[in-house]
Amino acid sequence: MPNVKGLIEKMEMKPKLYIRTNTLKIKTKDLKERLVSKGFELEDTILDDVLAVKKETFRTGATTEYLLGYYYIQDLSSCLAVDALDVRENQTVLDMASAPGGKTTYISQKMKNTGILVALETNARRIRALLFNLRRCGVINTCIFKMDGNKAMDLNMRFDRVILDAPCSCEGIIAKDKSRKTNHKPEDIEFCAGRQSSLIETAIRVVKPGGLLVYSTCSFAPEENEIIVNVLLEKLKNVEIEPISYGSEGLTNFGVLNFNPALKNTRRFYPHIHDTLGFYIAKLRLPN
Amino acid sequence: MKRAFDKWGVFDFFKDKSILVKEIENYNIREVYFLSNEIEKIALLKQPSYAGLMIGQLKKQFSLSIEGADLVSKISKQFPYIIVNETAEKSILYGKNVFSRSIISTSKMIDENEVVIILNSKRETIAVGKTRFADNLLLQEDKVVVTTMIDAGLYLRSEGKIKDKK
Repeated sequence: MPNVKGLIEKMEMKPKLYIRTNTLKIKTKDLKERLVSKGFELEDTILDDVLAVKKETFRTGATTEYLLGYYYIQDLSSCLAVDALDVRENQTVLDMASAPGGKTTYISQKMKNTGILVALETNARRIRALLFNLRRCGVINTCIFKMDGNKAMDLNMRFDRVILDAPCSCEGIIAKDKSRKTNHKPEDIEFCAGRQSSLIETAIRVVKPGGLLVYSTCSFAPEENEIIVNVLLEKLKNVEIEPISYGSEGLTNFGVLNFNPALKNTRRFYPHIHDTLGFYIAKLRLPN
Repeated sequence: MKRAFDKWGVFDFFKDKSILVKEIENYNIREVYFLSNEIEKIALLKQPSYAGLMIGQLKKQFSLSIEGADLVSKISKQFPYIIVNETAEKSILYGKNVFSRSIISTSKMIDENEVVIILNSKRETIAVGKTRFADNLLLQEDKVVVTTMIDAGLYLRSEGKIKDKK
């Protein structure tokens, strides 16, 4: 990891706040005007739909515009995962771990509320949050299954796009949630890695030929990122890793381990370098 | 439901659209969802837990959700509404009732006990309420004239997330 001291210092600071315009309801330009007129200071980011909040005069999660579903508070790194999914209108898309709905609602807006978006979630309380966000954002092209991602084969469907934002140790969000520094143990990474391996293997099986799988976590641990993808590549030689425009290159070795060189096409996001939460994204393409 | 759609001026809009009615066990409520045609097929075939956008509930009568009211306000030209000022907007989003002095204008021919959509000064749906008075009496001084039934801030309040709106 580059500049570890810088990372540790950055993790003690409040992370940068980003909002993503819900273009199903408003244009980014119009949202920006409205919030600026209320005293907000906003700046553009590498994504057209995403703005960084430099100054908030109201709590960003309590404005009328937020309640009306004009924007979603979402880290830039999470938006980049959806951007990598390259979603088009009228496609069939699966979100394997969907609550609370940041990526789901972003995918829906990229599909312009067309096609089929299937969202999986097991936890009833998290489904409630997901429902609220889908409703707030005016999403009509989504159905929710109370189902573990590992059972996605039971849907008996194949998808043009699959996103697996895998449950992880959440090392990358320590800046947002300080309790993560002490409430996770090294064994948790091992536990998460086991779950991630099984989820990614299911995910790749439900992608249509020529389709895309985006795998992401909010962890820095290679055990939850490159190692998971590397094991999949060893099993499925025909899967390709496509490059992503932003972020630092993925690791091609870790300690004594050497990975498939294509793993450099995956991307790592570091708080002290990219001003995002810690994040990892891999974009995998199935051959036709 | 057809009668309600007619009343809200959205009967024609929903003629060729997909609507799903979901029974909520033990509550004697049916939730009404608006969905795309593709999602309807999946819903019928695969029976998901939820599909589409909940636009209202059916008990004895059809009542609009906030999202349903928002849809109505965007596609209908003949629905009962009141428009409130910016100060009132904030308090209504905290579930407060509507005072006469907050009302900028109303639709024509509003009855007592009529369900109305509450719009802000930009004509955006912020709540659904029930009138306590009819027509011009809505504009009488210093009285609560509309009871707020549901508002766009309800979910966040119920989750205890809005704490420090400055």
